[in-house]
Amino acid sequence: MLGAFSSEWIKLRRRAMLLWGLGGGLFFAVLATVFTIERATKTFTFPERGHGIRVTFAVLEQPDGLVHGVVDVSTLIGIVALCLFAGAFATEYSQGTMRNLLVREPRRVKLLCGKFLALAVFIGVAVILEIVISSAVALALAPGRGITTSAWTSSTGLRDLGDATLHVYLASVGYGLLGAALGVLLRSPGVAIGTAVAYVLPGEAIIVAAIWSNGDHWLPGRLLSALSQGGTSDVSYSHALVTLLVYAVVISVGILALFRRRDA
Amino acid sequence: MTAAVSTTALTKRYKQRLAVDAVDIELPVGVVSGFVGPNGAGKTTTIQLLLGLCRPTSGTAQVLGRPISDPASYLGRVGALIEAPSFYPSLSGRRNLEVLTRLGRIDSRRIPEVLELVELSDRANDFVRAYSLGMKQRLGVAAALLPNPELCILDEPTNGLDPAGIREMRSVIRGLADRGITVFVSSHLLAEIEAICDHLVMIDSGRIVFQGGVDKLIGAQQSEIVATPEHPADAPALAALCIAAGRPASVTGDDVRVQAPQDWAAELNRQAMAGGITLRGLAVVRASLEEAYFAITEGPQEPA
Repeated sequence: MLGAFSSEWIKLRRRAMLLWGLGGGLFFAVLATVFTIERATKTFTFPERGHGIRVTFAVLEQPDGLVHGVVDVSTLIGIVALCLFAGAFATEYSQGTMRNLLVREPRRVKLLCGKFLALAVFIGVAVILEIVISSAVALALAPGRGITTSAWTSSTGLRDLGDATLHVYLASVGYGLLGAALGVLLRSPGVAIGTAVAYVLPGEAIIVAAIWSNGDHWLPGRLLSALSQGGTSDVSYSHALVTLLVYAVVISVGILALFRRRDA
Repeated sequence: MTAAVSTTALTKRYKQRLAVDAVDIELPVGVVSGFVGPNGAGKTTTIQLLLGLCRPTSGTAQVLGRPISDPASYLGRVGALIEAPSFYPSLSGRRNLEVLTRLGRIDSRRIPEVLELVELSDRANDFVRAYSLGMKQRLGVAAALLPNPELCILDEPTNGLDPAGIREMRSVIRGLADRGITVFVSSHLLAEIEAICDHLVMIDSGRIVFQGGVDKLIGAQQSEIVATPEHPADAPALAALCIAAGRPASVTGDDVRVQAPQDWAAELNRQAMAGGITLRGLAVVRASLEEAYFAITEGPQEPA
Protein backbone atom coordinates (compact mmCIF):
# COMPACT_ATOMS: atom_id res chain seq x y z
CA MET A 1 0.00 0.00 0.00
CA LEU A 2 2.95 2.27 0.69
CA GLY A 3 4.00 1.93 -2.97
CA ALA A 4 0.56 2.97 -4.20
CA PHE A 5 0.52 5.87 -1.73
CA SER A 6 3.97 7.03 -2.75
CA SER A 7 3.37 6.74 -6.50
CA GLU A 8 0.10 8.66 -6.23
CA TRP A 9 1.96 11.60 -4.72
CA ILE A 10 3.94 12.04 -7.93
CA LYS A 11 0.65 12.62 -9.74
CA LEU A 12 -0.71 14.89 -7.01
CA ARG A 13 2.26 17.20 -7.36
CA ARG A 14 1.28 18.03 -10.92
CA ARG A 15 0.56 21.69 -11.57
CA ALA A 16 -3.08 21.06 -12.48
CA MET A 17 -3.66 19.12 -9.29
CA LEU A 18 -2.09 21.84 -7.17
CA LEU A 19 -4.06 24.50 -9.00
CA TRP A 20 -7.47 22.85 -8.75
CA GLY A 21 -7.03 20.65 -5.68
CA LEU A 22 -5.41 23.22 -3.44
CA GLY A 23 -6.38 26.41 -5.23
CA GLY A 24 -10.06 25.54 -5.71
CA GLY A 25 -10.88 25.08 -2.04
CA LEU A 26 -8.60 27.94 -1.06
CA PHE A 27 -10.42 30.27 -3.44
CA PHE A 28 -13.81 29.46 -1.92
CA ALA A 29 -12.50 29.65 1.66
CA VAL A 30 -10.82 33.03 1.25
CA LEU A 31 -13.70 34.46 -0.78
CA ALA A 32 -16.23 33.39 1.84
CA THR A 33 -14.11 34.83 4.65
CA VAL A 34 -13.72 38.18 2.91
CA PHE A 35 -17.43 38.41 2.08
CA THR A 36 -18.50 37.35 5.57
CA ILE A 37 -16.40 40.03 7.25
CA GLU A 38 -16.95 42.80 4.71
CA ARG A 39 -20.72 42.28 4.66
CA ALA A 40 -21.11 41.85 8.44
CA THR A 41 -23.46 44.31 10.17
CA LYS A 42 -23.46 45.63 13.71
CA THR A 43 -27.09 44.69 14.25
CA PHE A 44 -29.30 42.08 12.62
CA THR A 45 -31.10 43.29 9.50
CA PHE A 46 -33.54 41.42 7.36
CA PRO A 47 -31.97 40.69 4.00
CA GLU A 48 -32.93 42.83 1.06
CA ARG A 49 -34.53 41.04 -1.86
CA GLY A 50 -31.88 39.03 -3.68
CA HIS A 51 -29.29 39.35 -0.91
CA GLY A 52 -28.36 36.75 1.69
CA ILE A 53 -28.56 37.14 5.44
CA ARG A 54 -25.70 39.24 6.74
CA VAL A 55 -23.91 37.90 9.76
CA THR A 56 -23.71 40.28 12.74
CA PHE A 57 -20.59 41.47 14.54
CA ALA A 58 -21.82 39.68 17.67
CA VAL A 59 -21.85 36.33 15.87
CA LEU A 60 -18.41 36.90 14.38
CA GLU A 61 -16.97 37.94 17.71
CA GLN A 62 -17.74 34.50 19.18
CA PRO A 63 -14.77 32.08 19.57
CA ASP A 64 -15.89 30.19 16.43
CA GLY A 65 -16.32 33.38 14.42
CA LEU A 66 -12.85 33.05 12.90
CA VAL A 67 -13.89 30.18 10.63
CA HIS A 68 -17.46 31.28 10.07
CA GLY A 69 -16.91 31.96 6.39
CA VAL A 70 -15.01 28.71 5.75
CA VAL A 71 -17.67 26.59 7.44
CA ASP A 72 -20.32 28.36 5.38
CA VAL A 73 -18.67 27.17 2.16
CA SER A 74 -17.59 23.77 3.45
CA THR A 75 -19.96 22.09 0.99
CA LEU A 76 -18.14 23.80 -1.89
CA ILE A 77 -14.80 22.73 -0.40
CA GLY A 78 -16.25 19.22 -0.24
CA ILE A 79 -17.32 19.41 -3.88
CA VAL A 80 -13.75 20.28 -4.84
CA ALA A 81 -12.60 17.14 -2.97
CA LEU A 82 -15.32 15.11 -4.67
CA CYS A 83 -14.18 16.25 -8.13
CA LEU A 84 -10.53 15.60 -7.25
CA PHE A 85 -11.17 12.04 -6.08
CA ALA A 86 -13.60 11.20 -8.91
CA GLY A 87 -11.16 12.58 -11.47
CA ALA A 88 -8.15 10.80 -9.96
CA PHE A 89 -9.84 7.39 -10.12
CA ALA A 90 -11.85 7.74 -13.34
CA THR A 91 -8.96 9.24 -15.32
CA GLU A 92 -6.86 6.12 -14.70
CA TYR A 93 -9.49 4.24 -16.70
CA SER A 94 -10.18 6.84 -19.37
CA GLN A 95 -6.50 7.38 -20.25
CA GLY A 96 -5.67 3.67 -19.96
CA THR A 97 -3.12 3.94 -17.14
CA MET A 98 -5.07 1.66 -14.78
CA ARG A 99 -3.70 -1.38 -16.61
CA ASN A 100 -0.12 -0.20 -16.13
CA LEU A 101 -0.80 0.27 -12.42
CA LEU A 102 -2.39 -3.18 -12.08
CA VAL A 103 0.57 -4.86 -13.75
CA ARG A 104 2.94 -3.28 -11.22
CA GLU A 105 0.58 -3.68 -8.26
CA PRO A 106 -1.79 -6.59 -8.88
CA ARG A 107 -3.03 -6.56 -5.28
CA ARG A 108 -5.99 -4.43 -6.14
CA VAL A 109 -7.20 -3.66 -2.63
CA LYS A 110 -3.77 -2.31 -1.72
CA LEU A 111 -3.67 -0.24 -4.90
CA LEU A 112 -7.07 1.29 -4.28
CA CYS A 113 -6.46 1.92 -0.56
CA GLY A 114 -2.99 3.42 -1.13
CA LYS A 115 -4.34 5.75 -3.79
CA PHE A 116 -7.28 6.79 -1.61
CA LEU A 117 -5.02 7.39 1.37
CA ALA A 118 -2.72 9.64 -0.68
CA LEU A 119 -5.70 11.67 -1.87
CA ALA A 120 -7.04 11.87 1.70
CA VAL A 121 -3.69 13.22 2.93
CA PHE A 122 -3.61 15.70 0.02
CA ILE A 123 -7.08 16.92 0.93
CA GLY A 124 -5.96 17.18 4.56
CA VAL A 125 -3.12 19.47 3.51
CA ALA A 126 -5.58 21.46 1.39
CA VAL A 127 -8.07 21.89 4.26
CA ILE A 128 -5.35 22.96 6.69
CA LEU A 129 -4.07 25.50 4.16
CA GLU A 130 -7.59 26.79 3.57
CA ILE A 131 -8.22 27.20 7.31
CA VAL A 132 -4.82 28.79 8.01
CA ILE A 133 -4.93 31.25 5.12
CA SER A 134 -8.58 32.19 5.55
CA SER A 135 -7.96 32.66 9.30
CA ALA A 136 -5.04 34.94 8.50
CA VAL A 137 -7.26 36.90 6.11
CA ALA A 138 -9.99 37.15 8.78
CA LEU A 139 -7.52 38.33 11.41
CA ALA A 140 -6.19 40.94 8.98
CA LEU A 141 -9.60 42.28 7.88
CA ALA A 142 -11.64 42.12 11.10
CA PRO A 143 -9.97 44.99 13.06
CA GLY A 144 -10.47 47.31 10.10
CA ARG A 145 -14.22 46.72 10.31
CA GLY A 146 -14.24 47.15 14.07
CA ILE A 147 -14.82 43.45 14.84
CA THR A 148 -13.22 42.36 18.13
CA THR A 149 -11.05 39.28 17.60
CA SER A 150 -9.85 38.54 21.12
CA ALA A 151 -12.20 35.51 21.45
CA TRP A 152 -10.73 33.98 18.28
CA THR A 153 -7.32 33.54 19.85
CA SER A 154 -8.60 32.40 23.25
CA SER A 155 -8.24 28.73 24.22
CA THR A 156 -11.91 28.17 23.32
CA GLY A 157 -11.37 29.90 20.00
CA LEU A 158 -8.35 27.76 19.16
CA ARG A 159 -10.29 24.60 20.14
CA ASP A 160 -13.15 25.69 17.90
CA LEU A 161 -10.64 26.30 15.11
CA GLY A 162 -9.28 22.75 15.54
CA ASP A 163 -12.80 21.30 15.63
CA ALA A 164 -13.81 23.18 12.50
CA THR A 165 -10.68 21.95 10.70
CA LEU A 166 -11.49 18.36 11.69
CA HIS A 167 -15.14 18.65 10.68
CA VAL A 168 -14.39 20.22 7.31
CA TYR A 169 -11.67 17.60 6.71
CA LEU A 170 -13.87 14.63 7.62
CA ALA A 171 -16.66 15.95 5.42
CA SER A 172 -14.20 16.52 2.56
CA VAL A 173 -12.95 12.92 2.83
CA GLY A 174 -16.58 11.81 2.83
CA TYR A 175 -17.26 13.78 -0.34
CA GLY A 176 -14.01 12.31 -1.70
CA LEU A 177 -15.16 8.76 -0.99
CA LEU A 178 -18.36 9.45 -2.87
CA GLY A 179 -16.33 10.81 -5.79
CA ALA A 180 -13.90 7.87 -5.71
CA ALA A 181 -16.78 5.37 -5.71
CA LEU A 182 -18.40 7.03 -8.71
CA GLY A 183 -15.02 7.29 -10.45
CA VAL A 184 -14.40 3.55 -10.12
CA LEU A 185 -17.99 2.70 -10.97
CA LEU A 186 -18.44 4.94 -14.01
CA ARG A 187 -14.81 5.01 -15.27
CA SER A 188 -15.25 8.37 -16.97
CA PRO A 189 -14.16 11.59 -15.21
CA GLY A 190 -16.80 13.75 -16.88
CA VAL A 191 -19.66 11.37 -16.18
CA ALA A 192 -18.51 10.65 -12.62
CA ILE A 193 -18.04 14.30 -11.67
CA GLY A 194 -21.23 15.39 -13.42
CA THR A 195 -23.28 12.68 -11.73
CA ALA A 196 -21.81 13.38 -8.29
CA VAL A 197 -22.21 17.15 -8.45
CA ALA A 198 -25.72 16.89 -9.88
CA TYR A 199 -26.72 14.51 -7.10
CA VAL A 200 -25.15 16.39 -4.19
CA LEU A 201 -26.10 19.93 -5.14
CA PRO A 202 -29.51 20.15 -6.82
CA GLY A 203 -30.38 16.44 -6.56
CA GLU A 204 -30.64 16.09 -2.80
CA ALA A 205 -32.22 19.55 -2.43
CA ILE A 206 -35.00 18.49 -4.82
CA ILE A 207 -35.47 15.18 -3.00
CA VAL A 208 -35.81 16.95 0.35
CA ALA A 209 -38.05 19.71 -0.99
CA ALA A 210 -40.35 17.58 -3.11
CA ILE A 211 -40.25 13.97 -1.96
CA TRP A 212 -38.68 13.29 1.40
CA SER A 213 -38.81 16.05 3.97
CA ASN A 214 -36.90 13.92 6.47
CA GLY A 215 -34.09 13.37 3.94
CA ASP A 216 -31.80 15.76 5.83
CA HIS A 217 -31.28 13.00 8.38
CA TRP A 218 -30.37 10.26 5.91
CA LEU A 219 -29.13 11.60 2.57
CA PRO A 220 -25.32 11.47 2.39
CA GLY A 221 -24.81 14.96 0.96
CA ARG A 222 -27.05 16.51 3.63
CA LEU A 223 -25.28 14.55 6.36
CA LEU A 224 -21.87 15.62 5.04
CA SER A 225 -23.01 19.22 5.09
CA ALA A 226 -24.15 18.80 8.72
CA LEU A 227 -20.87 17.08 9.61
CA SER A 228 -18.78 19.90 8.16
CA GLN A 229 -20.67 22.41 10.31
CA GLY A 230 -20.19 20.30 13.44
CA GLY A 231 -23.92 19.48 13.47
CA THR A 232 -26.95 21.63 12.75
CA SER A 233 -30.15 22.43 14.62
CA ASP A 234 -31.85 19.60 12.69
CA VAL A 235 -29.09 16.97 12.50
CA SER A 236 -26.77 16.34 15.41
CA TYR A 237 -23.05 15.87 14.83
CA SER A 238 -23.03 12.37 16.31
CA HIS A 239 -25.98 11.23 14.17
CA ALA A 240 -24.29 12.58 11.03
CA LEU A 241 -20.95 10.98 11.95
CA VAL A 242 -22.33 7.52 12.79
CA THR A 243 -24.68 7.37 9.80
CA LEU A 244 -21.92 8.50 7.46
CA LEU A 245 -19.53 5.91 8.91
CA VAL A 246 -22.06 3.19 8.09
CA TYR A 247 -22.42 4.58 4.56
CA ALA A 248 -18.63 4.76 4.20
CA VAL A 249 -18.21 1.10 5.20
CA VAL A 250 -20.96 -0.05 2.82
CA ILE A 251 -19.62 2.04 -0.10
CA SER A 252 -16.00 0.98 0.57
CA VAL A 253 -16.84 -2.73 0.72
CA GLY A 254 -18.95 -2.48 -2.44
CA ILE A 255 -16.34 -0.58 -4.42
CA LEU A 256 -13.46 -2.80 -3.26
CA ALA A 257 -15.45 -5.90 -4.24
CA LEU A 258 -16.25 -4.41 -7.66
CA PHE A 259 -12.66 -3.29 -8.24
CA ARG A 260 -11.27 -6.70 -7.27
CA ARG A 261 -13.53 -8.67 -9.56
CA ARG A 262 -13.97 -6.42 -12.56
CA ASP A 263 -11.87 -6.85 -15.71
CA ALA A 264 -9.45 -3.96 -16.20
CA MET B 1 10.24 -24.75 -15.41
CA THR B 2 9.84 -25.94 -19.00
CA ALA B 3 7.54 -23.21 -20.32
CA ALA B 4 7.47 -19.49 -19.62
CA VAL B 5 3.74 -19.51 -20.30
CA SER B 6 1.48 -22.50 -20.34
CA THR B 7 -2.28 -22.39 -20.82
CA THR B 8 -4.83 -25.18 -20.81
CA ALA B 9 -8.24 -24.69 -22.40
CA LEU B 10 -8.05 -21.00 -21.47
CA THR B 11 -11.36 -19.39 -22.35
CA LYS B 12 -12.77 -15.88 -22.06
CA ARG B 13 -16.33 -15.08 -22.98
CA TYR B 14 -17.84 -11.57 -23.01
CA LYS B 15 -21.60 -12.09 -22.94
CA GLN B 16 -22.32 -13.68 -26.34
CA ARG B 17 -18.83 -13.23 -27.75
CA LEU B 18 -16.18 -15.87 -27.27
CA ALA B 19 -12.96 -13.83 -27.30
CA VAL B 20 -10.59 -16.66 -26.39
CA ASP B 21 -11.72 -20.21 -27.07
CA ALA B 22 -10.06 -23.08 -25.18
CA VAL B 23 -6.56 -21.90 -25.94
CA ASP B 24 -3.58 -24.15 -25.22
CA ILE B 25 -0.28 -22.30 -25.46
CA GLU B 26 3.24 -23.38 -24.48
CA LEU B 27 5.89 -20.68 -24.74
CA PRO B 28 9.45 -21.93 -24.46
CA VAL B 29 11.80 -20.15 -22.08
CA GLY B 30 14.46 -17.81 -23.46
CA VAL B 31 13.12 -17.36 -26.98
CA VAL B 32 11.23 -14.64 -28.80
CA SER B 33 7.70 -15.89 -29.47
CA GLY B 34 5.49 -14.08 -31.91
CA PHE B 35 1.75 -13.83 -31.41
CA VAL B 36 -0.05 -13.13 -34.65
CA GLY B 37 -3.62 -12.99 -35.79
CA PRO B 38 -6.07 -10.61 -37.40
CA ASN B 39 -7.64 -7.74 -35.46
CA GLY B 40 -10.19 -9.08 -33.01
CA ALA B 41 -8.65 -12.56 -33.04
CA GLY B 42 -8.14 -12.57 -29.28
CA LYS B 43 -4.48 -11.54 -28.94
CA THR B 44 -4.99 -8.67 -26.50
CA THR B 45 -7.55 -10.59 -24.45
CA THR B 46 -5.11 -13.51 -24.15
CA ILE B 47 -2.38 -11.11 -23.03
CA GLN B 48 -4.73 -9.49 -20.51
CA LEU B 49 -5.57 -12.92 -19.11
CA LEU B 50 -1.87 -13.72 -18.71
CA LEU B 51 -1.33 -10.42 -16.88
CA GLY B 52 -4.22 -10.94 -14.49
CA LEU B 53 -6.08 -7.94 -15.91
CA CYS B 54 -9.15 -10.02 -16.62
CA ARG B 55 -10.41 -13.32 -15.31
CA PRO B 56 -10.80 -16.40 -17.49
CA THR B 57 -14.28 -17.79 -17.96
CA SER B 58 -12.73 -21.26 -17.75
CA GLY B 59 -9.40 -23.02 -18.17
CA THR B 60 -6.10 -22.52 -16.42
CA ALA B 61 -2.77 -20.90 -17.15
CA GLN B 62 0.63 -20.55 -15.59
CA VAL B 63 3.11 -17.74 -16.11
CA LEU B 64 6.69 -18.39 -14.97
CA GLY B 65 5.37 -21.43 -13.15
CA ARG B 66 2.74 -19.56 -11.16
CA PRO B 67 -1.03 -19.65 -11.69
CA ILE B 68 -2.70 -16.62 -13.26
CA SER B 69 -5.19 -16.67 -10.38
CA ASP B 70 -2.33 -15.21 -8.27
CA PRO B 71 -0.78 -12.50 -10.47
CA ALA B 72 1.09 -10.94 -7.55
CA SER B 73 3.25 -14.07 -7.39
CA TYR B 74 4.75 -13.56 -10.86
CA LEU B 75 4.10 -10.03 -12.17
CA GLY B 76 7.17 -8.71 -10.36
CA ARG B 77 9.19 -10.75 -12.88
CA VAL B 78 7.12 -9.74 -15.89
CA GLY B 79 7.29 -6.61 -18.02
CA ALA B 80 4.36 -5.65 -20.19
CA LEU B 81 3.29 -3.19 -22.84
CA ILE B 82 -0.43 -3.48 -23.36
CA GLU B 83 -2.06 -2.13 -26.53
CA ALA B 84 -1.46 1.57 -27.02
CA PRO B 85 1.06 2.99 -24.55
CA SER B 86 -0.79 4.94 -21.85
CA PHE B 87 0.89 7.56 -19.70
CA TYR B 88 0.12 10.69 -17.73
CA PRO B 89 0.47 13.44 -20.35
CA SER B 90 1.30 16.18 -17.84
CA LEU B 91 4.17 14.23 -16.31
CA SER B 92 7.59 13.81 -17.90
CA GLY B 93 8.69 10.46 -19.26
CA ARG B 94 11.01 10.04 -16.28
CA ARG B 95 8.22 10.89 -13.80
CA ASN B 96 5.88 8.43 -15.50
CA LEU B 97 8.45 5.69 -14.99
CA GLU B 98 8.91 6.82 -11.38
CA VAL B 99 5.18 6.27 -10.78
CA LEU B 100 5.71 2.65 -11.79
CA THR B 101 8.96 2.07 -9.89
CA ARG B 102 7.43 3.38 -6.68
CA LEU B 103 4.29 1.33 -7.18
CA GLY B 104 6.16 -1.87 -7.97
CA ARG B 105 8.93 -1.22 -5.42
CA ILE B 106 11.51 -1.32 -8.24
CA ASP B 107 14.95 0.24 -7.82
CA SER B 108 14.68 3.75 -9.31
CA ARG B 109 18.22 3.38 -10.69
CA ARG B 110 16.62 1.28 -13.42
CA ILE B 111 14.97 4.41 -14.85
CA PRO B 112 18.06 5.90 -16.55
CA GLU B 113 19.12 2.44 -17.68
CA VAL B 114 15.87 1.68 -19.51
CA LEU B 115 15.63 5.20 -20.90
CA GLU B 116 19.10 4.75 -22.34
CA LEU B 117 18.11 1.38 -23.77
CA VAL B 118 15.19 2.85 -25.71
CA GLU B 119 17.16 6.01 -26.54
CA LEU B 120 14.88 8.43 -24.73
CA SER B 121 17.41 9.85 -22.27
CA ASP B 122 17.54 13.20 -24.06
CA ARG B 123 13.77 13.69 -23.87
CA ALA B 124 13.23 12.09 -20.46
CA ASN B 125 12.35 15.36 -18.76
CA ASP B 126 9.84 16.50 -21.40
CA PHE B 127 6.13 16.15 -20.77
CA VAL B 128 4.74 13.00 -22.35
CA ARG B 129 2.10 15.11 -24.10
CA ALA B 130 4.93 16.45 -26.26
CA TYR B 131 6.05 12.94 -27.29
CA SER B 132 5.35 11.48 -30.71
CA LEU B 133 3.54 8.14 -30.86
CA GLY B 134 6.83 6.42 -31.56
CA MET B 135 8.41 7.98 -28.46
CA LYS B 136 5.44 6.90 -26.35
CA GLN B 137 5.85 3.41 -27.75
CA ARG B 138 9.50 3.40 -26.74
CA LEU B 139 8.59 4.73 -23.31
CA GLY B 140 6.11 1.85 -23.06
CA VAL B 141 8.89 -0.61 -23.78
CA ALA B 142 11.07 1.17 -21.20
CA ALA B 143 8.27 0.76 -18.65
CA ALA B 144 8.04 -2.92 -19.48
CA LEU B 145 11.75 -3.35 -18.89
CA LEU B 146 11.77 -1.59 -15.50
CA PRO B 147 11.54 -4.72 -13.34
CA ASN B 148 14.39 -6.40 -15.26
CA PRO B 149 11.87 -9.02 -16.31
CA GLU B 150 12.30 -12.72 -16.98
CA LEU B 151 9.33 -12.52 -19.33
CA CYS B 152 8.46 -9.50 -21.43
CA ILE B 153 5.00 -9.34 -23.01
CA LEU B 154 4.74 -6.70 -25.72
CA ASP B 155 1.42 -6.02 -27.42
CA GLU B 156 2.03 -4.41 -30.82
CA PRO B 157 5.29 -2.66 -29.85
CA THR B 158 5.91 -1.42 -33.39
CA ASN B 159 2.58 0.39 -33.71
CA GLY B 160 3.15 3.96 -34.80
CA LEU B 161 6.87 3.54 -35.37
CA ASP B 162 8.54 4.70 -38.56
CA PRO B 163 10.79 2.25 -40.44
CA ALA B 164 13.84 3.37 -38.47
CA GLY B 165 11.89 3.00 -35.22
CA ILE B 166 10.76 -0.48 -36.24
CA ARG B 167 14.33 -1.46 -36.91
CA GLU B 168 15.39 -0.08 -33.51
CA MET B 169 12.55 -1.95 -31.80
CA ARG B 170 13.65 -5.15 -33.53
CA SER B 171 17.12 -4.60 -32.21
CA VAL B 172 15.79 -3.93 -28.68
CA ILE B 173 13.74 -7.14 -28.76
CA ARG B 174 16.64 -9.21 -30.06
CA GLY B 175 18.78 -7.65 -27.34
CA LEU B 176 16.31 -8.84 -24.71
CA ALA B 177 16.46 -12.37 -26.09
CA ASP B 178 20.26 -12.23 -26.08
CA ARG B 179 20.07 -11.45 -22.35
CA GLY B 180 18.00 -14.57 -21.77
CA ILE B 181 14.67 -12.78 -21.42
CA THR B 182 11.68 -14.62 -22.83
CA VAL B 183 9.75 -12.28 -25.10
CA PHE B 184 6.14 -12.74 -26.19
CA VAL B 185 5.40 -10.15 -28.82
CA SER B 186 2.18 -9.62 -30.70
CA SER B 187 2.21 -7.83 -34.02
CA HIS B 188 0.30 -7.61 -37.22
CA LEU B 189 3.53 -6.94 -39.12
CA LEU B 190 4.30 -10.47 -40.24
CA ALA B 191 7.63 -9.54 -41.79
CA GLU B 192 8.73 -8.15 -38.40
CA ILE B 193 7.63 -11.28 -36.61
CA GLU B 194 9.48 -13.41 -39.15
CA ALA B 195 12.60 -11.31 -38.66
CA ILE B 196 12.74 -11.46 -34.86
CA CYS B 197 10.87 -14.55 -33.70
CA ASP B 198 12.06 -18.10 -33.19
CA HIS B 199 8.66 -19.39 -32.16
CA LEU B 200 5.18 -18.51 -33.27
CA VAL B 201 1.65 -18.68 -31.96
CA MET B 202 -1.14 -17.98 -34.44
CA ILE B 203 -4.62 -17.17 -33.30
CA ASP B 204 -7.76 -16.70 -35.34
CA SER B 205 -11.29 -16.16 -34.02
CA GLY B 206 -10.09 -16.96 -30.51
CA ARG B 207 -8.59 -20.33 -31.43
CA ILE B 208 -4.95 -21.29 -31.82
CA VAL B 209 -4.37 -22.34 -35.42
CA PHE B 210 -0.62 -22.92 -35.19
CA GLN B 211 2.16 -22.89 -32.66
CA GLY B 212 5.73 -23.97 -33.06
CA GLY B 213 8.97 -22.89 -34.68
CA VAL B 214 8.80 -20.31 -37.44
CA ASP B 215 10.96 -22.57 -39.66
CA LYS B 216 8.57 -25.45 -39.05
CA LEU B 217 5.65 -23.36 -40.22
CA ILE B 218 7.36 -21.99 -43.28
CA GLY B 219 8.98 -25.34 -44.08
CA ALA B 220 5.56 -26.97 -44.09
CA GLN B 221 4.46 -24.66 -46.87
CA GLN B 222 4.96 -25.71 -50.47
CA SER B 223 7.87 -23.78 -51.90
CA GLU B 224 7.92 -22.56 -55.46
CA ILE B 225 10.55 -23.15 -58.12
CA VAL B 226 10.89 -20.56 -60.84
CA ALA B 227 12.48 -21.84 -64.02
CA THR B 228 13.32 -19.55 -66.95
CA PRO B 229 13.95 -21.24 -70.32
CA GLU B 230 16.63 -19.77 -72.57
CA HIS B 231 13.96 -19.33 -75.28
CA PRO B 232 10.64 -17.96 -73.97
CA ALA B 233 8.78 -20.03 -76.56
CA ASP B 234 9.81 -23.14 -74.60
CA ALA B 235 7.93 -22.05 -71.46
CA PRO B 236 4.61 -23.83 -72.26
CA ALA B 237 6.48 -27.04 -73.10
CA LEU B 238 8.42 -26.84 -69.84
CA ALA B 239 5.22 -26.29 -67.85
CA ALA B 240 3.69 -29.32 -69.57
CA LEU B 241 6.73 -31.42 -68.59
CA CYS B 242 6.27 -30.41 -64.93
CA ILE B 243 2.55 -31.13 -64.97
CA ALA B 244 3.25 -34.54 -66.54
CA ALA B 245 5.63 -35.17 -63.59
CA GLY B 246 2.80 -34.42 -61.16
CA ARG B 247 3.84 -30.90 -60.21
CA PRO B 248 1.36 -28.00 -60.66
CA ALA B 249 2.96 -25.41 -62.95
CA SER B 250 1.99 -22.23 -64.73
CA VAL B 251 3.61 -19.83 -67.18
CA THR B 252 4.09 -16.27 -66.00
CA GLY B 253 5.76 -14.11 -68.65
CA ASP B 254 9.01 -15.85 -69.56
CA ASP B 255 9.00 -17.91 -66.35
CA VAL B 256 7.50 -21.21 -65.39
CA ARG B 257 6.40 -21.33 -61.75
CA VAL B 258 6.27 -24.83 -60.28
CA GLN B 259 4.78 -25.80 -56.91
CA ALA B 260 7.31 -28.30 -55.58
CA PRO B 261 9.73 -28.86 -52.71
CA GLN B 262 13.03 -27.11 -53.19
CA ASP B 263 15.01 -30.34 -53.81
CA TRP B 264 12.89 -30.98 -56.90
CA ALA B 265 14.78 -28.18 -58.63
CA ALA B 266 17.48 -30.67 -59.67
CA GLU B 267 14.87 -33.02 -61.11
CA LEU B 268 13.28 -30.10 -62.98
CA ASN B 269 16.66 -29.28 -64.49
CA ARG B 270 17.07 -32.90 -65.63
CA GLN B 271 13.57 -33.05 -67.09
CA ALA B 272 14.15 -29.83 -69.01
CA MET B 273 17.46 -31.10 -70.38
CA ALA B 274 15.86 -34.43 -71.39
CA GLY B 275 13.12 -32.46 -73.16
CA GLY B 276 15.67 -30.40 -75.07
CA ILE B 277 15.04 -27.20 -73.13
CA THR B 278 17.94 -25.16 -71.87
CA LEU B 279 17.36 -23.15 -68.72
CA ARG B 280 18.94 -19.74 -68.21
CA GLY B 281 17.51 -19.38 -64.68
CA LEU B 282 16.44 -21.67 -61.86
CA ALA B 283 15.49 -20.34 -58.44
CA VAL B 284 13.75 -21.66 -55.37
CA VAL B 285 11.34 -19.19 -53.76
CA ARG B 286 10.85 -20.02 -50.09
CA ALA B 287 7.36 -19.34 -48.69
CA SER B 288 7.23 -16.25 -46.49
CA LEU B 289 5.56 -16.13 -43.11
CA GLU B 290 2.85 -14.04 -44.69
CA GLU B 291 2.10 -16.73 -47.25
CA ALA B 292 2.16 -19.39 -44.55
CA TYR B 293 -0.11 -17.27 -42.39
CA PHE B 294 -2.70 -16.81 -45.10
CA ALA B 295 -2.43 -20.44 -46.12
CA ILE B 296 -3.43 -21.37 -42.58
CA THR B 297 -5.96 -18.67 -41.79
CA GLU B 298 -7.70 -18.72 -45.16
CA GLY B 299 -7.48 -22.46 -45.72
CA PRO B 300 -9.19 -25.22 -43.75
CA GLN B 301 -8.26 -24.83 -40.08
CA GLU B 302 -6.75 -27.67 -38.17
CA PRO B 303 -6.03 -27.88 -34.45
CA ALA B 304 -2.47 -27.05 -33.50
